[in-house]
Amino acid sequence: MSLPDLAYPGLPLGPSSSYIPGPGTHLHLESSTIHASIAGCPTFIPSTAKGSKPTLSIPRLLPSPTHAPIPSSNVSNTNTLPTVGSGVLCRVTRVKSKQVDVVILVVYGAEGKFGGGGEGSVCADEWQAVIRKEDIRATEKEKVVTAEGFRVGDVVRGVVISLGDQSNYYLATGRNELGVIMAKSEVGNKMYPISWKEFKDPVTGETEGRKVAKPF
Amino acid sequence: MDRRRVNGPPGGTAPPCYASTLSGKTHPSPKRTRGANEIRKIFLKTGLTPSASGSAYFELETPPTNYSNSLTNRTSALKLTCTVHGPRPLPRSAPFSPQLLLSTRVKFAPFAARQRRSYIPDSGERDLAAHLETALRGVLIGERWPKSGVDIIVTVLEGEEDRPWDALAAGNQNGRTGGWGMMSILSGCITVASAAITDAGIDCVDVVIGGVAAIVRQPAAPPQLVLDPCPSDHEEVIAACVVGYLQSRDEVTETWAKGNVTASSDGKGTTPMGFNALVDQAVEAAVAARRVLVEAIRESTEAKIQSSQAKLPDKLTSV
Repeated sequence: MSLPDLAYPGLPLGPSSSYIPGPGTHLHLESSTIHASIAGCPTFIPSTAKGSKPTLSIPRLLPSPTHAPIPSSNVSNTNTLPTVGSGVLCRVTRVKSKQVDVVILVVYGAEGKFGGGGEGSVCADEWQAVIRKEDIRATEKEKVVTAEGFRVGDVVRGVVISLGDQSNYYLATGRNELGVIMAKSEVGNKMYPISWKEFKDPVTGETEGRKVAKPF
Repeated sequence: MDRRRVNGPPGGTAPPCYASTLSGKTHPSPKRTRGANEIRKIFLKTGLTPSASGSAYFELETPPTNYSNSLTNRTSALKLTCTVHGPRPLPRSAPFSPQLLLSTRVKFAPFAARQRRSYIPDSGERDLAAHLETALRGVLIGERWPKSGVDIIVTVLEGEEDRPWDALAAGNQNGRTGGWGMMSILSGCITVASAAITDAGIDCVDVVIGGVAAIVRQPAAPPQLVLDPCPSDHEEVIAACVVGYLQSRDEVTETWAKGNVTASSDGKGTTPMGFNALVDQAVEAAVAARRVLVEAIRESTEAKIQSSQAKLPDKLTSV
């Protein structure tokens, strides 16, 4: 059965015996067919494992033709929700002794594929999130001091570990490539990373401690 | 006295009164010119409000008027606009919700009815919003959006009146859209909200469309079952029903019926009366409107696809 060019919610796309429903589609139990959930172009992703079915999905479109997105190649402005396992870019708003409060600005797809070809979407609204003290590092968790890892205004790369409670998502930075990617020194200059725990200010020559993300 | 806004003169202003309107000449009442199974032409377009996640505009065709000595149309044509904001984070005080939290609002513009409405929402608007929420709740796939809320706001720019305007002015009714006009408005609200939700990219099971049918009294014939009634075309509406219908699943998400069905079931005549027949005809009206909605969604989706391809010519595709 060939896929239609354009789908709208409720349009049958294919039998569930041949495809797996992906994002943008849903399974209609009574007729065992996969129907579209949003308006867009259906695509199918061939399966990676031998013998399993390809995935039917409908990628989300930009909000409206008149809404000019940020002119960068891979980032689009949509209403994506952070899901467990997706990578995020966030900005620190408050540093407390047991946790760091951040706001999520950009959500990447699942498995946190950052950089290179990873598709990121800028969130239309900021989502509140929290990095707990024990999630900042993978080793020596009890020796972490939050103020030596983050400062207010830093941009942090993290991964979502839980939907959390009513007001916060929960993030973790316990991998080498996660942590602070952009920081400003106390006098206000942009710093560059020199090791896994230090940033250096090129103007004053001072170093400041952060939990630094490994650059690609 | 509404102190938050700049109000007009308290006594109101009177439009000029021409001699021909005072002459006491009464125009013949408008009559329905379409067939009993024909709905009014719909204009539906999405994506008109760039600042909202999704938006749509809905308008019914203006009824033809052949009274050359009248400057305005004597009957109204429904005009609605809908904006959808979301899914967006719930406020901090809201409890954790594993599903999408839906909130609907229907607002009448002050100039929407023959008699000016105030800005403060009244019970009619809240009632419409409750019916709209019921119709849409059955369609949204809420589990995909935990801890989020969506706001749907429908603004009525021109509503349906129960009587032609000069009959309203003569004081036959209090001039407010209270009865049968609300049902046509709800049917339009369901359709326009569905278009806006699809424009916003919120997961839905199907497109829900509104349809309305009524049993009307005819001057020298048994009562007739008509689709998409314009209340001012008829002498008396006996009963009416609005449905929100999903065609691919053959399901009804919302039913609102008013009036007296048993009084018109007379067993004779070609159209069987009764509640089931009324609902079936309302479903037929919805199916007829669905083509317009699907076409509007198709157009706007094609435009979005073209604009997204045009903006990223050298995009690196990820493997």
